[in-house]
Amino acid sequence: MKLFTAYNRVLLITGSLGLLAIGYLFYHTLGNYLDRQIDNYLVEELLEVKDYAAKKENFPAHVAFEDLVIEYHRIPKLKRKRHFGDTVFYNAKKKLSETGRYLEEDLVMASETYRVKIIASKIAHIDQAKSIFLVIILPVFGLLLLLLLVSHYMIKRIWLPFRQLLINLKSFNLNQEQDFVQVPTSIAEFRELNDAIVDISQRVRSDYRQIKLFTENASHEMMTPIAVINAKLDTMLQSSDLDEEQSRNLADLYRATAKLTKLNQSLLLLVKIDNNLLNDRAQLNFKEMVAEKLVYFQEFTQRRNISVDTELETHALLMNRYLADILLDNLIGNAVRHNYEGGNIVVKLDRKSFSVSNTGIEGALDSTVVFERFYKSPSSEGMGLGLAIVKQIVELHQFRISYDYQGGRHNFVVSF
Amino acid sequence: MKILVVEDEELLRENIIDYLKSEGNVCDIAANFDAADEKIALYDYDCILLDLTLPDGDGLKLLQLLKKQDRGEGVIIITARGSVDQRIEGLALGADDYLVKPFHLSELSARVMAVVRRRWFSGNDLVVFNELSIDIKSKIVKVNAELISLTKKEFDLLVYFMSNRSKVISKSALVTHIWGDHADMADSFDFVYTHMKNLRRKLVDAGCKDYFHSIYGVGYKFADL
Repeated sequence: MKLFTAYNRVLLITGSLGLLAIGYLFYHTLGNYLDRQIDNYLVEELLEVKDYAAKKENFPAHVAFEDLVIEYHRIPKLKRKRHFGDTVFYNAKKKLSETGRYLEEDLVMASETYRVKIIASKIAHIDQAKSIFLVIILPVFGLLLLLLLVSHYMIKRIWLPFRQLLINLKSFNLNQEQDFVQVPTSIAEFRELNDAIVDISQRVRSDYRQIKLFTENASHEMMTPIAVINAKLDTMLQSSDLDEEQSRNLADLYRATAKLTKLNQSLLLLVKIDNNLLNDRAQLNFKEMVAEKLVYFQEFTQRRNISVDTELETHALLMNRYLADILLDNLIGNAVRHNYEGGNIVVKLDRKSFSVSNTGIEGALDSTVVFERFYKSPSSEGMGLGLAIVKQIVELHQFRISYDYQGGRHNFVVSF
Repeated sequence: MKILVVEDEELLRENIIDYLKSEGNVCDIAANFDAADEKIALYDYDCILLDLTLPDGDGLKLLQLLKKQDRGEGVIIITARGSVDQRIEGLALGADDYLVKPFHLSELSARVMAVVRRRWFSGNDLVVFNELSIDIKSKIVKVNAELISLTKKEFDLLVYFMSNRSKVISKSALVTHIWGDHADMADSFDFVYTHMKNLRRKLVDAGCKDYFHSIYGVGYKFADL
């Protein structure tokens, strides 16, 4: 629910309920007040009847009263004191039924007991009450509408900086060095929010920069010790009295060092992509690059009897050459590495996408984490950085990459 | 050959020097910018190994200095910073080669030999070892007078071994030399074995003595024992 809707809902509900309650109370009080007026009038008329009866020993005729209906009944004995009430009576003059107010009282005349009932029409008064009610309630209703309109406009206007803040937040990119844009506003709360966001974005950026710097420095610093290890291994290898076990150990050490080197290089590459250090792009003949890469991998595919099928359309891409090369290396390299003897690889390139599909030893990989750093299938000997690098490269060039597993084939698709 | 090693990391420097000396080279060391500057002013070298990140200065400045004086030394940059830009910058400034740490000493030795050959024997690029002779520029290999045809990888391997005579070269170094960044594709080492097997067979078939000696699966040595 939008803020405006929520706000209006409360306003409308309380407004309407309030209006109803006030209307009811007002109408009721007004009715009561008008009834009292009629009652007083009826009492005066009764007094006149009494006077008349006392003087003339008779009741005045019906016609003697304007707008009134008067009835006399003889009753056995005095019972009732003065009594007011609402009634519906037949107005003989107007020839229709009307609501009215009546007054009943028993009285004695010429030693007989009578009940006198005087009825006055309420129609005129009801009309009066309606007018008064409308005069009061209509402006109140109008005011409520006006309030709704004003609040609609105000909310839109007042929350404008907030919407801008939201837009800015959504477009915030940790990797872009562009600073968070301040939104001009005179509302203190929004200014505070603005400052808080600017502050937090700067802190996050600074922390992130520190982490990147750390990774870069750590990787660089590690290169020299690894170089020393490598050099020492090369020196030890020259020793003339090397026996078989020592040789095996040396071979293992070489392998471990090579792995460490590769890990370091991969981390450095990720940092470089993150830092936009490899941003010079050129129009590349991607088809040619793919074809060259396949020739390069031929040695490995032929040796393991892996068949390679290609469907390559000429397509030029604006990419960093170095990164495009790594992208191909990693995707095609994986397809070869994780394949089995006599397997198959299909490489396709058209104007919309580049895809590598291969048979593999492993079953489906977890597509939610397959591109995450250090994720690897249990049997993989790599470090799990290859596909993370691919994803970084793809994102840097605003492409998309997807993975799925169908019919025993791993499919990686880069959409341009 | 006379080589100057400009490297601030002592352990690495020692190993480089030991390796190069054992191949019959004369080595000088400079642990920092100033020492290197001084050595260069005093002596001539065949090749200079230059670390870019020195405690008291940028190695690239030293390179500029050398080129300004139009000296004949071959320069190989050795650095931990493997960025493409730096590589390009270094080569543009006149470095002959660029080696990223960590590297194998056999690789370094081969690069030094190549640089020196290019610099000093550019017209006559012939490497001879007993009955074996290799013309590196035109990629011609002869056993006695008989021409043998090698694949590109076999040729590279042979030159690599010829540049590291009587040394054990690890399979790890061979894989890196041939496949570079893609060394891990061949990490079963079977690929090296295949190429080595083919190379040896071709040479022996042509009447060459088998100078390759396998060292317990960790590497090979090229020597006339």
